[in-house]
Amino acid sequence: MSIAFDTVAEGDELPVRDLFLAKDMVRAYARAANQVAPRFTDDDGARQEGLPGMITPGNMSMGLLTAAIEAWAGIGALRRLGTTFRGLVLPDRTIRLCGTVTEKDDTGRTVELDVWLENEDAERLVIGTATVALL
Amino acid sequence: MPLDIDPGLLGREFDHTTYGPVAPDELIAFARALGETRPEYVEAGSALVGHPTFCLRYKGHKFYPENIPRSINVRTGLDAGKDIAFGVPVRPGDTIDVRSTLHEVYEKTGRTGSMYFVVIRFTMTNQRGEMVAVVDNRFMHRG
Repeated sequence: MSIAFDTVAEGDELPVRDLFLAKDMVRAYARAANQVAPRFTDDDGARQEGLPGMITPGNMSMGLLTAAIEAWAGIGALRRLGTTFRGLVLPDRTIRLCGTVTEKDDTGRTVELDVWLENEDAERLVIGTATVALL
Repeated sequence: MPLDIDPGLLGREFDHTTYGPVAPDELIAFARALGETRPEYVEAGSALVGHPTFCLRYKGHKFYPENIPRSINVRTGLDAGKDIAFGVPVRPGDTIDVRSTLHEVYEKTGRTGSMYFVVIRFTMTNQRGEMVAVVDNRFMHRG
């Protein structure tokens, strides 16, 4: 299922996704993404790098945001995604994936989104923009 | 310390690496690790495609060009973010060519002092010459 271009309006919010990000999920991602490193797999190893514990790869945050966008827009709709990693995404906590429509282009039938990943304190740890093409 | 960068370095390819062929299991494991359950991403067969961010698995063998300015300590970088322009999806059996260029270098001054940003562009194409993705990866270094 994907949303139709004509039904979208500027200011619309994407369905919010809450996700408990377990450490084992992050480890599984690190293995699948060829990013096996202590900072992504092991609390003690991460502390030796000066981190508070295991962290989530920025690429995983982008993957989770992409999944949330595609759940709304459909597979193959995403044309561009740009992100800034502002803070550490620590596992064993609940994250929230959010987005809003900021602009519609009637000619290209694309929409611009603001997207972000926030923690339980509503701190935006990853922010970004995306372009999706809708039918 | 001001940046001393040779403008000729910008846009010049410093690494070319080829990966593949891509196995279906790689695509499926990656998608499942993101919680995907849609058949296009997790069921082997002719319709299987890679999750869009699968392309982030790929980078060059050389992290930076050899003649990056000395004021940038290449051992102390943090991933500051990425911009991805998506092309065709990765499919099983694909080989992926990754060409790395130094796209941009700039300095910013914040509350904690100066920071250098290095943007590496990874241009990825498949064996048919189709664009898979162009990824601009920003790395931040303390000055």
